[in-house]
Amino acid sequence: MSTPLLEIEDLCARVGNKEIIKNFNLTINEGEVHAIMGPNGAGKSTLSYVLSGKPGYEITSGSIKFKGKDLISMSVEERAREGMFLIMQYPVEIPGVPVNSFLKHAVNALHQHNNESELDTMEFLKMLREEAKKLGIDNEMLKRAVNVGFSGGEKKRLEALQMSVLKPCFAILDEADSGLDIDAIKVVSNCVNNMLDGKRSLLIITHYQKLLNYIEPDFVHVFADGHIVKSGNKSLSEEIEANGYASYVKEK
Amino acid sequence: MVGLLENIELFGQNIPWLEALREEGRNIFTLPGAKTEAWKYTKLHDLRCDDFVYSPSKFIEELEGGYEDNEDCGCSDCDQSDHSCGCGGGCCCGNHLNLYIDIPFEAYQIHFNNGKFVPLYPALPLGVEVMTLMQAIVEGEARNYVGKYIELKKYPFAALNTAYLEEGVFISIERNVKLAKPIMIVYHTSTKHNLVSHIHNIIVAENNSSAVVVEYYKHTGADKDRYFNNIVNEFYLSPKAEVKHYKFQEEAYKSVHIALNHAVVKDGAKYKSFCLQKGANLARNETKVELLQENANTEVNAAYIMNGWATIDTTTDIAHLSEKTTSSQLVKGVVGGEARGVFQGKIAISKNAQETEGYQQHRALLLSDTAEIDVKPELEIYADNVKCSHGAACGELDKEQLFYMRSRGIGEEDAKQILIDAYLTDVIDKIDDEDIKEWIRANV
Repeated sequence: MSTPLLEIEDLCARVGNKEIIKNFNLTINEGEVHAIMGPNGAGKSTLSYVLSGKPGYEITSGSIKFKGKDLISMSVEERAREGMFLIMQYPVEIPGVPVNSFLKHAVNALHQHNNESELDTMEFLKMLREEAKKLGIDNEMLKRAVNVGFSGGEKKRLEALQMSVLKPCFAILDEADSGLDIDAIKVVSNCVNNMLDGKRSLLIITHYQKLLNYIEPDFVHVFADGHIVKSGNKSLSEEIEANGYASYVKEK
Repeated sequence: MVGLLENIELFGQNIPWLEALREEGRNIFTLPGAKTEAWKYTKLHDLRCDDFVYSPSKFIEELEGGYEDNEDCGCSDCDQSDHSCGCGGGCCCGNHLNLYIDIPFEAYQIHFNNGKFVPLYPALPLGVEVMTLMQAIVEGEARNYVGKYIELKKYPFAALNTAYLEEGVFISIERNVKLAKPIMIVYHTSTKHNLVSHIHNIIVAENNSSAVVVEYYKHTGADKDRYFNNIVNEFYLSPKAEVKHYKFQEEAYKSVHIALNHAVVKDGAKYKSFCLQKGANLARNETKVELLQENANTEVNAAYIMNGWATIDTTTDIAHLSEKTTSSQLVKGVVGGEARGVFQGKIAISKNAQETEGYQQHRALLLSDTAEIDVKPELEIYADNVKCSHGAACGELDKEQLFYMRSRGIGEEDAKQILIDAYLTDVIDKIDDEDIKEWIRANV
C-alpha cells in the first residue's frame, strides 16, 4: 500500500494578477520519482516556488498536503524543516556568509525542529567534511561565501551537499529553463540518485528529456496551461523529445 | 533639578589656567539648534530638559546613597572594609559595584563608574603611565595638551566638557614602548537619575611607540535608565607612533552619548580607529583627525546598528595638513524601526598637502520603511595633486537571499541576522587585533 507524501488538489495560484497554476492536481507517494515537463514559459518554476512557499506567489484556491499536514499554512522554513528541499536552478549568492556556517545554521534549525540537541562545532565540521568529500568538495570551498564566484558545477555541488546534510524526504529538482549545463546536471543527479532509497521522493521539473537520462522517473507529466494535460511513464518523455510540445499547447 | 550649565564646585579652582579654560568652555557652550549645520540631522531634544544631575567626584556618594571613603558598606559579602579594592568608597563586594566585564582578551583595565574614575590602577609595564586627569593637571603633564588643539567653538559639547573639566585619565606611552596588551577603558553606567558625566581623556604616544586603546561603554542598570555621557578623547601621536582606538558603545536605550575623538598625528604616525555604536537614544561619535606632518596616516572605520526611535550619528573630519598624508574611512550602518542613521564625513586637504590620498565610503542597510539615513559627504580640496574619493549607498536585505536561506530551514529572523552580520563583515575585518575583532563580531 503506497503512502501519499504530497497531495495537491485543484490548486490555483497567481503572481500579481496573472493566474499561472490552474486546477492543478498531483499526488506523489513515498519513494516515487515524478517528472513534470512542459514548454518554456508554462509556469513550471512557479510550481516549485509555490510548493516551497516563496513570498509573492499567491494561492487562490485548492489544497496541498505534505505528510498529511496542510502545507499552505507553513512558512518557508517550516516546509524545509519538515523535509522539503528545493534544488534551485540558479542558487543564490550570499556574500559574507561562509558555506560551513550557513550549513551549521540550517542543520541546527533542523535539529531544533526535531527536538534533537544541536551539534557542537567540531562534530558538525567532521560530518560536513565527510559529506563534502563524497561529492568532491574540498575544505577550501566550505570556507568560501555561499555560491559567490562558484562555477555552475560548483553551485550544483553545493546544492547536492546541502541535500546530503539536511537529508530531506522530498526534493524538487528545478531545471525548468532550457539552458542545461550537462556537467552540473551530472553532479546533481548523482547526488539525487544516491538519496533515492525507495522511501524518499523526487519531483523533477524540466524542459528537456535529456535530464531524465540521468534520473529515471516513475511517472512523467506534461504541464501546459497551468495544469497537467497528460500523464504517463518514461516513454511519454521520449515521445515529447521526438515530437515536441506542439500537440499539448492550445492554439492561441 | 538643573539644566546642562549648573554651578557646581569642581576640583582645582586654585589653578588659574584651568579656571580660565573652564570659563572659556562655559562661555562658548550653547545647545546647537536646527540651524546649526553640523547638527541639522541630529536633533538634540533629549538634552532640552532640566532634570540633569551632575556627578563630579564629591557628589557621587551622596547622590547614590553610597558610603564615605574607608567606611564599610556593611553588607556581609564585602570583605575589604578598607576598600583597598579601589571601589572608590562604594561597595567592594561584587553585588554593588561589579567591574567584571566579559571579554575574550587580556587588557590593562581602567574603569569609570557612573562617570567617576575608579581608583584601581592596572599593573602597567615600564614606560606606560596612567593617572587621573586632575593629577596630570596638578602635576603639569596635561598642561601642554588640554585646551591646546581642540577648537571649542566648533565643538559645543567639547566646550561643555571643558567647562566641567575634572574627570578623566591621562595616559602616556614613552618613546619606543610597544604595548603588548590593549589598554581598556570601561565606562559602567547604572543610574536612576538623569546623570551627566563629562569625561576627558588624554592619550599621549611618544616617538615610535604603539598602543591599542579599547573603550567600552557599558550600561549595567535598569533598562529605562536615562543619563548623558559627554566624552572627549584627545590623542597625540608623535612621529612614527601608532595608536589603534577601538570603541564599543552599548549605552542604555534612553541615554545620550556624545563623544569627540580628537587626534593629532605627526610625521609617519598612524591613528587607526573603529567604533561600533549600538546603544543610546541619541548618540554621536565624532572623530577629528589632524594629519599634521608628512606621511601621517589615519583610518577611521565605524559600524552602527539601531532600532526603535534612536538617532545614531557618525561624524568625521579628516584634515590633511601636510604632504603625503593618507586617510581612509569605511562606515556601515544597519537601521531598523523608526531609527535614523546620520553620517557626516569630511575630507579637507589644505593647499600644501600635495600627494595626499583620502578615501571615504558609507553604506547603510535599511530594515524598515520608516528607517532613515542622512548622509553628508564633504570634500574640501585645495591642493592639486591628490587622490580623493567618496561614495555612499543604501539598500535593503536581499529577498532572494532571505528566501534561499529560509528554504534551507533557517528561520526568518536568524536569516536576517546572518545577512546583517555578513553585511558588516568587511568593516569589522578592519580591526587588526583578532581577539578584539571576535569580541566586536560577537556583539553585533
